[in-house]
Amino acid sequence: MHPATPFTTDAPVGRAHRTPLPRRRLLRGLLAVTVAAPLLFGAAACGDDDGGAADPNAPVKLSIFWWGGDARAKLTEDALALYTKKHPNVTFEKTWQANQGYFDKLATLTAGGNPPDLFQIDDNYLAEYAARNSTLDLTSYQKSGKLDTSKFPESLWQYGVVDGKLAGLAAGENTQGLVYNKTLLTKHNLPEPTTGMTWEEHIAWAEQVTAKTNVPGTQDPSADYKALWVWLRQQGKDLYQGKELGFTAEDVTRWFDLWRGARDRKATPTPDVIHEGNATDITKQLVVTGKAATSWVWANQMPDLKKNTKDELGVIAYPGDPSAQWARASMYWSVFKGSKNRDVAVDVINFLNNDVEAVKLLGTDRGLPSNLDLRRVVSDDTTDPAMKQSIAVEAELTQKFGKSPQVPIKGHSKVKSELIKAAENAQYGRASSAEAATQFIEACKSAIA
Amino acid sequence: MALTTAPDPTRRGPGSDRAHAERRGPGRLRNSEGLAGYVFLSPWLIGLMGITAIPMLLSLYLSFTNYDILTPFSEVEWVGLANYRRMFTADPSYWHAVRVTLTFALIAVPLKLAAALGVALLLNRAWRGVGLFRGLFYLPSLLGGSVALAIVWVNMFNRDGAFNSLLSLFGIEGRPWVNDPDWALETLMVLAIWQFGAPMVIFLAGLKQVPTELYEAASVDGAGRFRQFRNVTLPMLSPVIFFNLVLETINGFQGFTAAFVLSNGTGGPVDSTLMYTLNLYITGFTDLEMGYASAMAWVFLLAIAVITAIFFSTGRFWVHYSDGEDR
Repeated sequence: MHPATPFTTDAPVGRAHRTPLPRRRLLRGLLAVTVAAPLLFGAAACGDDDGGAADPNAPVKLSIFWWGGDARAKLTEDALALYTKKHPNVTFEKTWQANQGYFDKLATLTAGGNPPDLFQIDDNYLAEYAARNSTLDLTSYQKSGKLDTSKFPESLWQYGVVDGKLAGLAAGENTQGLVYNKTLLTKHNLPEPTTGMTWEEHIAWAEQVTAKTNVPGTQDPSADYKALWVWLRQQGKDLYQGKELGFTAEDVTRWFDLWRGARDRKATPTPDVIHEGNATDITKQLVVTGKAATSWVWANQMPDLKKNTKDELGVIAYPGDPSAQWARASMYWSVFKGSKNRDVAVDVINFLNNDVEAVKLLGTDRGLPSNLDLRRVVSDDTTDPAMKQSIAVEAELTQKFGKSPQVPIKGHSKVKSELIKAAENAQYGRASSAEAATQFIEACKSAIA
Repeated sequence: MALTTAPDPTRRGPGSDRAHAERRGPGRLRNSEGLAGYVFLSPWLIGLMGITAIPMLLSLYLSFTNYDILTPFSEVEWVGLANYRRMFTADPSYWHAVRVTLTFALIAVPLKLAAALGVALLLNRAWRGVGLFRGLFYLPSLLGGSVALAIVWVNMFNRDGAFNSLLSLFGIEGRPWVNDPDWALETLMVLAIWQFGAPMVIFLAGLKQVPTELYEAASVDGAGRFRQFRNVTLPMLSPVIFFNLVLETINGFQGFTAAFVLSNGTGGPVDSTLMYTLNLYITGFTDLEMGYASAMAWVFLLAIAVITAIFFSTGRFWVHYSDGEDR
């Protein structure tokens, strides 16, 4: 992808070399190769459609790819080692990396004809991959019982269905979580926020925190799609409706106005700090960098956040009616459609979700275990206080959860980044709420078209 | 002082066209030699084909398709000029990226060259320890487009970074430079300018080539420092300036790493650091529109080719090649 390289290697412009005949022939050959190459690659990519293993004991090397930190890597490797212990013919080629850049890498591996058999994916990308036929439809495995979802909450596995196909199986359950700095609040004798506060109450509370502690009360989540999503659902709207957007420019304008008000009241940090907090990186969340008293995250990220700060943290639902939140598949395991080892890959997914020992090993790192029986086992067993806390909150919220929305559609990743752009435009005062909202809607329409 | 426009050795390799033509002329026995030639060339040729030429031509083909990385090549649809049409008529963020890149190149490149020339002039004297200084000034450019350097830069120009601490010593309240859409690009320009070592070394080499007699003659004629610089140094240095200008312009347009690191790969805050190549990368790998990204790459290639061609065609008005013999 270095378009200008030829300049440095080739002859100077405007002074073309005379082309001797052999080179011309060579060029023609080159063209032929160029035309042929796509056909070849194409053929390779749609080859091996014969699928599953014949001999169950034949040695299999399964490639597996996930994102996450060291802790997740350790837990996952242990669980996979357990699988190898039980099935000595199956070994793993493990690759993992940080969240940033993960999907670039996954796309590149897929394009290069070298995708992993089994990979972790989330709802931001599931539809992108499923709509392009890159994920194996797991429905038949589910029907035959090879993939056991009988102990799953129905809405949880259904959150992996795209266009009628089971594109991924929930590796865990989480939900939106508002994480706040308990230590700071106690020190200044301030009340802790509670689930069910309205958005206005939350902002008023945050304003008070700023005034007393000099730490901005809340990160401004106007660039955060998951906060917008909850807010929309509380008004009977949604992020997507079928293949369309589930909201209008007026909705977004009101959303941006809500937070402009909060910024004016100093309930939030300044735009440059908000911008820092808009990075997805756990270590940059303002609640752990001490630049705000609350951050808008996923509840299962609590233990990870805790590792990055000495302060005590608390977690509750986002403001407003908590029934706008749902049992979200925090991430999925998907099988690459062209995988030669698809049967084994499915069996590994089943193992990671339904085997007592494996699930105990994995704990709540990827969210609450999807299997409800095992979820109970894990929550009884766990000793990690941060994990205990997020389990307790999610267990409480489970009673209040509403219906799951549809999985975000193709183009969603672009919608996410366009929201950040539009919201920051409003935050930095470069556009009015209405202008930013119109800009966002336009960009969304072309992204999902 | 007669300055002639003789062919520049840097522009033509030893196997220049004329020599080539003479050798090719008579013999037929060239065939086996030709074959041997290609065999010797083959490591380079295979590299060129495999790593550069074939992928490039492939991307030309892809630029007329809706290729999205995930779909196999066999199912890619030919969309004709749609990608190019979209770029020119329906994609405001594309034009935004073009503006950002042009701003960056138009400001950073001249300033970088000026800094390189200025420092080269200072370091062209025979002080004690001048070698050490040359080394020190060259050092930053060795770090090139490194990620580590970009990370250091981000931390230095944060709200609570080293630069603002320095400013506060003078009672100035700094800004969150890298997180401020009005200043993020400027921060990147400073980084680019600071890495002036490579052109500086080339300027130094050029300065060493200027014959001292010319300065002696000029001072006998009563030319002061400034006139000597304008009428001797600059003309004698013009081929080197030209070389640096072309190279640095191309480099400037291709700036990617620092912008990528500074913005976490988003081009933010508010697209202020959305350089052309970063926009291209996001389009291809994050938005999965590789066909469209390929089209962007080809337009980029053509744009750089045109700009370079303009440089070469204007060069004859201000670049003086002296072979040093006909003084």
